[in-house]
Amino acid sequence: MLEFDGVGVRIDDGHPRVLLHPLTLSVPERRVSVIGANGSGKSTFLRLINGLREPTTGRVRVLGDDTRTAGRRVRRNVGFVFTDPLSQLVMPTGREDVELSLRTRRLPAREHRARAEEVLDRFGIAHLADRSIYDLSGGERQILAFAVVAAVEPRILVADEPTTLLDLGNGARIRRLIAGLDQQVLFTTHDLDLALDADRTLVVDDGRVVFDGDPGEAVARYRDLAAATCTTE
Amino acid sequence: MRGYGTTLGLFEPGRGFLYRTPLPVKAAGSLAVVVAVVGWRSPAVVVVVLAFTGVTLAVGAHRSPARILRMLLPALPVLAVLALSQGLMTGGTRAFAVAGGIAACLLAARALTLTTPLPVLLDGVVRLVAPLERLGADPERFALTLSVMLRSIPYLAGSVLDLRAAARARGLERNPRVVGVPLVVGAVAYAPRTGEALAARGLGEHPEEE
Amino acid sequence: MQPATTSRSGRSRERRRSRRRWDATDLSLIAVFAALIAALSILPGIPVGPLGVPITLQTLGVVLAGVVLGPGRGTAAVLLYLAAGLIGLPVFSGFSGGVGVLAGPSAGYLLGFPLAALLAGWLTTRSVARTGRFRAPVVFLACLIASLLTVHPLGVAGLLVNAGLDPVPALLVDAAYLPGDVVKNLLATVLGAAVHRAFPRLLPTGPRTGA
Repeated sequence: MLEFDGVGVRIDDGHPRVLLHPLTLSVPERRVSVIGANGSGKSTFLRLINGLREPTTGRVRVLGDDTRTAGRRVRRNVGFVFTDPLSQLVMPTGREDVELSLRTRRLPAREHRARAEEVLDRFGIAHLADRSIYDLSGGERQILAFAVVAAVEPRILVADEPTTLLDLGNGARIRRLIAGLDQQVLFTTHDLDLALDADRTLVVDDGRVVFDGDPGEAVARYRDLAAATCTTE
Repeated sequence: MRGYGTTLGLFEPGRGFLYRTPLPVKAAGSLAVVVAVVGWRSPAVVVVVLAFTGVTLAVGAHRSPARILRMLLPALPVLAVLALSQGLMTGGTRAFAVAGGIAACLLAARALTLTTPLPVLLDGVVRLVAPLERLGADPERFALTLSVMLRSIPYLAGSVLDLRAAARARGLERNPRVVGVPLVVGAVAYAPRTGEALAARGLGEHPEEE
Repeated sequence: MQPATTSRSGRSRERRRSRRRWDATDLSLIAVFAALIAALSILPGIPVGPLGVPITLQTLGVVLAGVVLGPGRGTAAVLLYLAAGLIGLPVFSGFSGGVGVLAGPSAGYLLGFPLAALLAGWLTTRSVARTGRFRAPVVFLACLIASLLTVHPLGVAGLLVNAGLDPVPALLVDAAYLPGDVVKNLLATVLGAAVHRAFPRLLPTGPRTGA
């Protein structure tokens, strides 16, 4: 369960601007997609959820915890998958990276091994565990990124454009993967098929949520918005 | 060339007693070789140490003499010039002592990294710097930073190659700025992305936060 | 051979520092610059002079770490690079690594690197803090002073001790690196200026208001 209570984000790095206008909503749904143009505030919205960005006004609560005061517990509960797995994966092989995630759980070494094996197996990439991450395909890397994040069993998963760098086939693999996850999942995307795989869709435009509801209607609304931008230019 | 990471000369799976030897023992052995070479600087000691490291690698890691010699290949130009100049200035035995000693030290270090998986090596580093914790050091964060460094080397090496190709395509390969500026600016831009990914995973946080 | 479980870092919880501690982004900046120095060192070097101490872009990376990251993080990046090499990872020039390099002819130069980053970083930060701008001639001078006061004296000392040279030949060998160093310091200045234009708030003293 996520709650946004009057959450707004402004930044001032010489050019003051609003990234997200104040927003109040609660999100109990299991699958939520967020769509919108580049720079519309989608990523800001996602980063608020695990405290990577703190709101300048209002409060974000994740399972009851305020992201500003209980950041560490929030990051434990919320896993984050980035667009580019290469900026996310730290270790040279998948197995080592999963074990690195498990380090924060302070388990005995033997248990690390077993848990890593189990997670890699569950995501169907056990056979790639000891390959260099540079030798994996883009799709395999993104699956690994999900495995690495899921290894510590967060209760909510957040993914920022997880299929943007992938071809159609690999994109479909990630769609199936997301559909099969046990957690609540929120994701941003430009892949409208993926956007439809949700119980609820938010359309973000210029820092405002301009539509919130049924995915089918949301996608139609987003198409209109994009067409309008084209003709005004 | 994106697979540079695998050729960074780190762990290679294999068999032999070196793979089963605990890391502290291997580290102590490797250090002993250096101390012996630096401490005595005598040709006789270098012969003994060179034989010791060579035999240990051959028996302990099942590496053939040819493969052991190949490990020295990248350092060969330096070793050759060093041996030659010492030979001309002070004579053959001194040349052998200097070049052979350095070769033995390199092989001893290689024996350690060849037979120790990276996570075990990192754990060893954590234990090594653990006593410094009282002085304000944080071994876990140190090990994490070290792993980020290691995984960034292939990224940067790969981007040097991409940038060189791009510069050549524009006919600008003679201008060091054309490769240098995007390389360094790219590296600085890449760091916060990695930092954010670490923060999102709860890695690299200060233990005293909250 | 059980990898250590690291439950003990919880003990440090009572520790509190007054200075701002490095966050994950600082750590990865340090790590990426250490990697940059390593990448520049691994790229083929040219052995110079009779002792074959190779000329690489290594020192460019070292000075650049100071100029771009400032004295604290810059020095940390160089120390991390040295630590990686000393535990045996092949990041020194010629793909070498291990404590053994401390027995080699280039040991003095390696030990001078962190000091060079510290000095170059400190001088650059001072200059930027005072004038509010990245002044290329000042920064170039800072780099030059840093390498002349640290890397070269320690390098000569290393040649005296480890290669058994007499003072005059050692100075001559060292002098062979000076022209290359001037060029590399110039390049470090140009690259540093470009980075600070792209990321104006990278140095802790950047011309920012508030905070």
